[in-house]
Amino acid sequence: MIKDNSNYFCCNGCQGVFKLLSDEGFDSFYAKTQDVKLSPPLEKFEDSSTFDSESFRDAFVKVNSDGFNEIALIIEGIHCSACVWLNEKALHKMDGVIEANINFTNNKATVVWADDIVKLSAIIEMIRSIGYDAFAYDSSIQEVYANRERKSYYLKMAVAIFASMNIMWIAVAQYAGYFTGITQDVKTILNIAEWILATPVLFFSGWVFFKGAYYGLKNRVVNMDLMVATGALLTYIYSIYITVTEYGEAYFDSVSMIITFVLIGKFLEVLSKKNAADTLDIVGKHIPSETKILLDDTIITCKLENVKVGNIVVVSSGDRILLDGEIVKGQGSFDESNLTGESEPIYKKIGDSVISGTTSIDADIYFRATKDFKHSTLSNLVTLLESAINKKPKIQQMANKLSEHFSSVILGFSFLTFVVWFMLDNGFETSFMIGISVIVIACPCALALATPVATLVGLNLGAKRGILFKEAAQIETIAKVDTLVLDKTGTLTVGKPEVVKQSHFEEFDKELLYSLVKLSKHPVASGICRYLENEDETPGEILFDEFSQIPACGIKAQYRGKEILGGNIKLLELHGIKIDFISDNTLFYYAVDRKVVCIYELSDKIKDSASELIAEMQKRNINVVMLTGDNEKSARNVARKVGITELYYEQTPEDKSNFIESLHAQNRSVVMVGDGVNDILALSRADIGIVMGSGSDIAVEIGDVVLLNDSLTSLKDAFKISKITFGLIKQNLFISLVYNAVTIPLAMAGYVIPLVAAISMSLSSLLVVGNSMRIRYKFKQN
Amino acid sequence: MSNWVIAMMLGVSIFLGAAALFAFLWAIKNGQFDDEEKFLNAAKFDGEDELNDAFKREQKKKALKKEYRPE
Repeated sequence: MIKDNSNYFCCNGCQGVFKLLSDEGFDSFYAKTQDVKLSPPLEKFEDSSTFDSESFRDAFVKVNSDGFNEIALIIEGIHCSACVWLNEKALHKMDGVIEANINFTNNKATVVWADDIVKLSAIIEMIRSIGYDAFAYDSSIQEVYANRERKSYYLKMAVAIFASMNIMWIAVAQYAGYFTGITQDVKTILNIAEWILATPVLFFSGWVFFKGAYYGLKNRVVNMDLMVATGALLTYIYSIYITVTEYGEAYFDSVSMIITFVLIGKFLEVLSKKNAADTLDIVGKHIPSETKILLDDTIITCKLENVKVGNIVVVSSGDRILLDGEIVKGQGSFDESNLTGESEPIYKKIGDSVISGTTSIDADIYFRATKDFKHSTLSNLVTLLESAINKKPKIQQMANKLSEHFSSVILGFSFLTFVVWFMLDNGFETSFMIGISVIVIACPCALALATPVATLVGLNLGAKRGILFKEAAQIETIAKVDTLVLDKTGTLTVGKPEVVKQSHFEEFDKELLYSLVKLSKHPVASGICRYLENEDETPGEILFDEFSQIPACGIKAQYRGKEILGGNIKLLELHGIKIDFISDNTLFYYAVDRKVVCIYELSDKIKDSASELIAEMQKRNINVVMLTGDNEKSARNVARKVGITELYYEQTPEDKSNFIESLHAQNRSVVMVGDGVNDILALSRADIGIVMGSGSDIAVEIGDVVLLNDSLTSLKDAFKISKITFGLIKQNLFISLVYNAVTIPLAMAGYVIPLVAAISMSLSSLLVVGNSMRIRYKFKQN
Repeated sequence: MSNWVIAMMLGVSIFLGAAALFAFLWAIKNGQFDDEEKFLNAAKFDGEDELNDAFKREQKKKALKKEYRPE
C-alpha cells in the first residue's frame, strides 16, 4: 500500500495514473467507476515508435474523405463505461485528435487525427499513460463489412415498417369502403396516399431484391429475389394504373407488405451470419510477438521474426514456447496437451527437443532454436488453418433450394394464367390483374420466414442452455450429420488429472499437504489441491521454513524440523525411499521424514454423461469416432469405458484433419468436437466444429458451436435442438407450400379479391411464426 | 366531410410520421445505436461539461478542416 495524502494505492502505476488524471482534471473518473475494481496499469510496453513506421501506416492507417488519418484500435483494459469515458476524454483533449469513438461492447475504437499536428505514437502513449493499452487491427476485414450491411438493413427495415404500418391503417379505410360503399374521390385520395408510402418501400427498402434478381439473372438462376421483385414491381405499376384511371382496386398494401415481410426474413438471416475472416485475425493476436533470447551473456527481448536459427532462447516456468528447438540448459516438465492431447506432463532434459505451441510447467531452460519462426510448428499450424477455413464444405440450405424451383414455377404459372385469360377474350386489363394476383397470393412471405424464424427460436433455446450456435445455418447442418468425431482430452474427459483413489498408511496433517501442493503449478499438484478443497473443509495454509521444487520429480519442504516430500516415484528414489505400489494411474506419493504416509492415484476423469451421449448417438444412427493424440493405452481405456468402438490414437493435428477429409471423401458429413489447439485444423475442416467453452481461445474462435458449460449433456442437447428445429423448418416449408397449392389455383381461376389476398398473406406468415414457437415446447417434451 | 379535409389529415399525419422516421434514420446512420451499453450509459454521463466538450470538439474539427482544405 502506498499512502499519498488521503488516498491509498496498491502500486506506483495506479498512483501515477491518479496523478495524471487529477492534473488533467479528469478525477471525476473515479466517481464514475463506482464499485468497479480497477486493475493496476500495465508497465511493460513495446516501443511505440513502430506505430509511426511506414509499414505500419500502409497496413492499418487509412485517410478518410476529409483528408484526416483514421485507424481502428482495440483498447485493452476496458472494464466499465467509465473507462470508455476516460479514454475518449483524454484523447479528445489532445491537439490534433479529431475524433475518438470507443465501443464499449467490443472494446474497438476508431481514432481520427491530423497527422501534421500529432503523431500516432503520441496518441498510443496517451492511452498507455492512463493505464490502458492499444493495438491496431485491420478494419477492412469482414466484420466491418458485416456491420455496415446490418446497419443498412436497419435503415431499410425502419422505412419499410413505418410505411407498411401507415398503409395498413389506410387500407382499413379502403376495405371498409369496399363493403359499405365509398366515393371514387375518397378512394383516389387514399390510393395516392398509399402510393406515396409504397414508393420508398419498393425502391429503397426493396432495392436488395432488384439487386439480387439482377445478379441471379446474370448467373442464369431464377431466385426468390426475382419473384419478389417482379411481383412487387408489377403490382406497383398496375396499382398506379388503377389510381390514375380511377377504376378497380389498387394493391399498394400488398406491395409494401411483401417487401417488408421478406426483408425481415432476409434480415434475420444476415443477423445470424458469422464472420469467418475475423478468426484469422484472432489467431495472430494470440501469438505474442516477442521472446527473450540470450545474446553475449545478456538476456534481451527480440521480435519473433528476428530470431535466427542457432539463437539461444530463454524460457522461464509458465512461459509459452514460441519456437522449435533443442534444450541446451535446464530441465523440467512441459505441457504438450495443446498439441498432442497428451494429458500427462512430459519431462524433458538437455538434448531433448521442445515444440512451439507447448507450455513450460516448471522448467527454466535455455534452448537453441532449430527453426526460425516462419518454419516453426506454431506458424505452420496457422498457415494450415488458413487453408482449412477456406476448404470448409458448404451445405446448401433446403429453403434456398426449394425457393429456386418455387420461383420459376410461380412466375411460369402467372404468365400462363395471363395468356389463357387473354386468349379467352377477357381483355388485357382483367387478364393482367389475374396474372399478377397469382404472384401476389403466392407471396413468398411464409417461405421466406419459414427458415429464419424457426432457426432463431432454436438459437435462443440453445443460448439459454449454454450452447452458442455462431450461425443459423449450422442448425440445419447438425441435423443432417451422420458422423460424430470426438477428441479425448478435455472433451470426453475433464482434461485435468483428478484424484480417483487414496491409500492412507498413517495419519497425517492435511494442512501440510495442502500447503505443499498449493505451491506447485504442476497439474497433478493442482488435482490434489482441488481434491482437498472439495473435502468437507478446506485446510488452512502454513508457511514452510524451506521449500524447493525438484523439476520433474516433485516438491520438497522443511517444516519445524520435519522433511516433507511430495511427488512421483523418482523423488522417493532420489531420497532413498523404497516402496512397491502398482497402479495404472498417475501416482503422487506424500512422505514425511522419509516415510510414505499417503498415496494418491490420479487419472483424467471421464465426464459425467459421456456414455449416455454415445448411446444416444448410436440410437440416432450417428457413427461415433474417437481421435486422440494420446497413447494407445489411455485411449483404449477411455473408449472402453464410454462404449466407443472406433478409435484412432497418437494422431497429430494434421492426421486429425486428414481423417476428417477422408470422411468427406466418403460423402459423410461430420461433426468434430474438440477443445485444444491440436483440434483446430480438424475443427475448421469438419462440417461443424463444436468447441468446449473452456478450450483454448483459438479453438473457441474457430468453432461453429461453443458449449459454454463444457458438459456433454449440452452436446446432446445441441443435437436435439437441431433435430427439432430442422423438423419444424420442414413443417414450415410444408405449410407454406400447402397454402400455395390451395390458393394459387383459386387465384388462377380469378376468385381472389384483394381483401382475401391480404388476409391470407398475413395468415400464412402468422402460421409459420406460430409453428416455430413450438420448438421450445417440443424440446421440453422430449 | 369534404375531400380536402381527408387529404389534409392524411398529408399532415404522414408528414409528422415521416419527420420522426427521418430523425430515427439520422440517428442510426450517425451510429447512435451501435453500442447499446454506451447508448444506455450516455444518459448517466450527460451534463454541461459533456455538452461543452462536444461543442469544443466541433470547433476543433472545423478549424483543422480549414487548414487541410482551404476554401
